[in-house]
Amino acid sequence: MDKQQILEEVNAIFIDVLDNDSIRITPETSAADVEEWDSLTHIQLIVAIEKHYKIKFTASEINTWKNVGHMIDSIYGKKNA
Amino acid sequence: MESSIAWIVDRIGELNPLHVKKLRKNIRKSDQQYFDRAGQFLERYSALLKSNGLDLEYGIDCYLKMIADMNYETVRFRETGEYSSKSFDEVNQRVYANPDVMQYYMHGLLLSQFLWKYHYDTLLLFRDIITRHRDAIRTYLEVGGGHGLYVSEATAVIGPSAVYDMVDISQSSLEIARQMTNDSRINFIHSDIFRFEPSGGYDFITMGEVLEHMENPEELLQKVSSLLNPGGRLFITTPTNAPTIDHIYLFRTVGDIRDLIGRSDLVIEEELSLPAEDIPLEQAEELGISVLYCACLKKKNQ
Repeated sequence: MDKQQILEEVNAIFIDVLDNDSIRITPETSAADVEEWDSLTHIQLIVAIEKHYKIKFTASEINTWKNVGHMIDSIYGKKNA
Repeated sequence: MESSIAWIVDRIGELNPLHVKKLRKNIRKSDQQYFDRAGQFLERYSALLKSNGLDLEYGIDCYLKMIADMNYETVRFRETGEYSSKSFDEVNQRVYANPDVMQYYMHGLLLSQFLWKYHYDTLLLFRDIITRHRDAIRTYLEVGGGHGLYVSEATAVIGPSAVYDMVDISQSSLEIARQMTNDSRINFIHSDIFRFEPSGGYDFITMGEVLEHMENPEELLQKVSSLLNPGGRLFITTPTNAPTIDHIYLFRTVGDIRDLIGRSDLVIEEELSLPAEDIPLEQAEELGISVLYCACLKKKNQ
C-alpha cells in the first residue's frame, strides 16, 4: 500500500465524515484549509480512519499530526510494519 | 506580554489551529461582560503564574497538553463507549499522585473556565442563583473547589457577613484556589469530604464537576446533602460523555444524572443543560456529545 493510495482513501473518508463532496486533500492540507475540520470532526475522522484501516493510533501519534501528510505517514507506518 | 483572552486564543491558534476554531466561534458570540470578566480572571491568573516564576505561555502549554489528553481519551471513548479509568486508585496513580500531570492538568482546567463556553455559562448561572438567594446564605461550603472561581463569586455577591469554607482532597488544588482568590475570609480545608465533620451545617454548598470523579457518586451526594442546613441549597455541575484522564463515573444522559438525584433525599429546584457543541440538547445526546448539567437542589419537603 503506497502513500498515494492512502491519500485517496483518506480523501474519501474526509468527504464522508465532513459531508462535503468538493474536499480534495493533499499532504500539506491542515485544519486551517478545511472549514468543516474542527475538533469535533477531527475525532470522527480519526475513528473512521482507524476503522477503515483496522489500526489504532497512539496518543503521541495523534498529538504530533500537523497536516494530512503526518496522518498518512502514521497510517503507512502501521500498514507496512 | 499581552494577557487578554483574545491574545490567548490567537496564541493557541498558532500552536493548535484545529482546536482554536471552536474557541474563536465562542469568542465571536461573546459580549463585553465576558471580555471584562475574562480580563479580571487573567489578571489574577497572571499574578499566580508570576508568583511561581511562570507566565501565560506556560499556562497555554498546560492547556494544550490537557486538550491533547482529552482528544486521545475521546477517540478511545468513541471506540469503547467507556471511560478509560475505572477506579479512584487508577486515577490516583495516573493523575493525582503524579505531580507532572497534576501541574499541567490544573493549569489547563483553570484556563478552560473562560475558554470553554459551557464553563463560562455555568459561572454566570451560579452567580445568578447565588444573587437570588444571597439573603439566606450565612454559611457557604465549596466541595472540590479547585480553581476558586465559584467561591470568589460567592464572596463578591454575599459579602463579609458569611462564613466561607472550601474542602478539597488535593493540597495543590487548595493552593491554586488560595492564590486565585487571595481572600483571607475563605477557610481552605484539606480533607477527604467523607471525613469532613464540621460543627454546623451550610446554607449553600457548591460542588462543581466532582460527581464524575467518584466510583460511587450516590454516596457523595448523600454525604454532601447531610451537610445542608434546613432550607439550604446545593449547586452541582457534572458532565455527560466527558472522557478525560480522571473521570470515572459515566453519565450517558442528563436523565442518568436526574435519576441519581431522584435516588437521593434532594429535589431539583432549577436546572440547566449545556451541550459542549453549539447544537440542541437532543442532538448532543443522540451523538454522545458532552453536556454539562447544572442544577440547584434542595432537600425534599423543604
